[in-house]
Amino acid sequence: MKNEELIDIIKSYDGPKLRIMEVCGTHTHEIFRLGIRQVLPDNIELISGPGCPVCVTPVAFIDEAIMLALEKGCTVCTFGDLIRVPGSEMSLAGARAQGGKIDIVYSPMDAESYAAAHRDEQVVFLSVGFETTTPASCIAVSMAEKDGIDNFSLLTANKTMPKAYEMLKDYVDVYLYPGHVNAIMGNSECIELAKRGVSGVVSGFTANEILSALAAAVIKVREGKPFFVNAYPRVVTDEGSPAAKSIMNKYMEAYDCEWRGLGIIPGSGRRLKDEYAAYDARKKYALPKISGKVNKACRCGEVLQGLIKPSDCPCFGTACVPTHPVGACMVSGEGACSAYYQYGGEL
Amino acid sequence: MNIENLGKTVTLAHGAGGRQTSELIDSVFKAHFTNPYFTADDAAVLEAPKGRIAMTTDGFIVSPQFFPGGNIGKLSICGTVNDLACMGAEPLYLSCAFVIEEGFPMDKLEEIASAMELTAKEAGVKIVSGDTKVAGRGQVDGVFITTTGVGRILEGVNTSGALAKPGDVVIVSGDVGRHGCTIMLQREDFGIEADVTSDCAPLWNTVKAMLEVSKDIHVIRDATRGGVGTVLYEITGQSNVGIHIKATDIPVDPKVKGVCGMLGLEPLYLACEGRLVIIAPESESEKILGVLRSMPYSGNAAVIGRVTEDHPGRVIMETEIGSETILSQPGGELLPRIC
Amino acid sequence: MCVGLSAKVLKVQDGTALIDSNGAKLEVSSAMLESLEPGDYVMVHAGVAIAKITEDEDEQSDELIGNLRKTSAR
Repeated sequence: MKNEELIDIIKSYDGPKLRIMEVCGTHTHEIFRLGIRQVLPDNIELISGPGCPVCVTPVAFIDEAIMLALEKGCTVCTFGDLIRVPGSEMSLAGARAQGGKIDIVYSPMDAESYAAAHRDEQVVFLSVGFETTTPASCIAVSMAEKDGIDNFSLLTANKTMPKAYEMLKDYVDVYLYPGHVNAIMGNSECIELAKRGVSGVVSGFTANEILSALAAAVIKVREGKPFFVNAYPRVVTDEGSPAAKSIMNKYMEAYDCEWRGLGIIPGSGRRLKDEYAAYDARKKYALPKISGKVNKACRCGEVLQGLIKPSDCPCFGTACVPTHPVGACMVSGEGACSAYYQYGGEL
Repeated sequence: MNIENLGKTVTLAHGAGGRQTSELIDSVFKAHFTNPYFTADDAAVLEAPKGRIAMTTDGFIVSPQFFPGGNIGKLSICGTVNDLACMGAEPLYLSCAFVIEEGFPMDKLEEIASAMELTAKEAGVKIVSGDTKVAGRGQVDGVFITTTGVGRILEGVNTSGALAKPGDVVIVSGDVGRHGCTIMLQREDFGIEADVTSDCAPLWNTVKAMLEVSKDIHVIRDATRGGVGTVLYEITGQSNVGIHIKATDIPVDPKVKGVCGMLGLEPLYLACEGRLVIIAPESESEKILGVLRSMPYSGNAAVIGRVTEDHPGRVIMETEIGSETILSQPGGELLPRIC
Repeated sequence: MCVGLSAKVLKVQDGTALIDSNGAKLEVSSAMLESLEPGDYVMVHAGVAIAKITEDEDEQSDELIGNLRKTSAR
């Protein structure tokens, strides 16, 4: 179906104010990039949710990574997304300028390969991400086991989404579920949520897919019942990826984990099991417990919950800009504040 | 003297100013840069051109020094020639200063000098003066080159980033982001393979041909570091206008698009080394495009947008779904993203 | 949270797949997918092929909206 036809369906929505939360940061990014908000009628509001792993990673995690690079002499491998995230004192870019060895990699497996080829270096991969990304970290650990190398480990901050859906459901009418999380986990959690009154649509990431998902939401909302729709069936099945789920369950376990701005969400974190302690950087380097210093004026937490708009934060656009971010939402291109700043509320 | 006699690599002695320095200059640089003005004295003595002249300088560091489509030598000539060309200036004279890392292979240095000779010849510019320093191992990365150029501004030409007017068309002379993409792939940081060649090219002949059909061109800029997106933002600031571009009109090589898709990068922010952004009245657009498309480095030139009175300081992008959004502002280091 | 890349599989060997997207090639892990074959299309995230892709997006939206309208009209 053509984009124009989908836009017509969305524009035909004539019900009460509809709050749709795009949970996933890549959705936030694409929605801004494509200018999707501009084609929505006034009675549909898109809220940017907490699904950017960079944005919800606590300050202390960056501090730990910097300690590994500068004090423990480790080679820290990371996704590019994390480089500019502010820690208590500095970002990873700052640590790199001070001589820390910090390398950007495309995947955790690349970090493992680097470790295998540089046995004289201690390589730590900064393992952030949700269900979509976590299997890649587990594959990297399985490769390290197979290669028999002892100079590779993960600093984990992996998280899972369902508890966050639960926590934010009262602020939202319809979730736009992150297609690539569902590609791994399948749809059962979301179907369960619909049974308990929480509606949602799984969406892909192209213009056509996001518009389809929004059109589907508009059609289903009219029926007046809670619903779940898989609008991304070319990638997402109800079952998800058994292999990905199984490798995560083999290496990782759930724990109560802190989300920047949201606090502790019980059972929402994933870390390496005790039997894989040799690959857990926190245990391997006996890292002390760090409680990061958060800038009190920053209201990223409320932005992440969709309670305030980025422009309502006193730091926004003044102390906090993309080239000098205070909060994590300004750092990542997909962070709500960054997207809002870059693409402006003015159009 | 033959370069075989210089030894296989550059040593600190080659930079000490004595006999070995002279030998290096004679057999590598002079052999390639020879022209009546090239000087062995303290300064080159030149004929002053009539009218206004333009002068520019640029330092070049690139890793790796050799890449598909060129090397740091070619780049160092193109960069300065293109800066002059953008002011409507015919490049006349160039100086070049080398800082070479101890241990740099002599044959590679020769290859760099040879590329400089060829590129300078194509652009019609003479290398008249040079300097060679050798730095200890690790103090520089291979070789750094600084070139300075002087050119004669053609009569009746007046281009500046501050002269864009609402209603003008915005033209790019070719597909965007190829140089940046090529260098990224060569560094092999991400294991991606694609057959992409740098767009590195000297553009004086292109500009000259364009000025022959139209003197009424408001802005010519070469998009280098920061890519076309950065240039567009600079022009909106200098001219206090908005620029409205259409996403689907921006020429991007499919392979560059593929690489950008893998790493989550915007091709408009990848470096070019042979691409012009041209802003001119609508009435000149067909003539300019016609000439560009007949020249060797601008076969896929295209109109990508228009200058507007609205949204001063902003670049507005019409997206593939037909709505308008602000092109994200250029932000420092290009970082691949997973989210 | 997850930039995905749809790409064509060129070669599968020892748990890795060589993929092609617009002529850009990359080796990724195929450990999460069984019976992957050259010619298949996959969704790739962070160096892992996470799902086989079946239809193109036009068909997907036709079918989706068509079905929803049918059930919705009932």
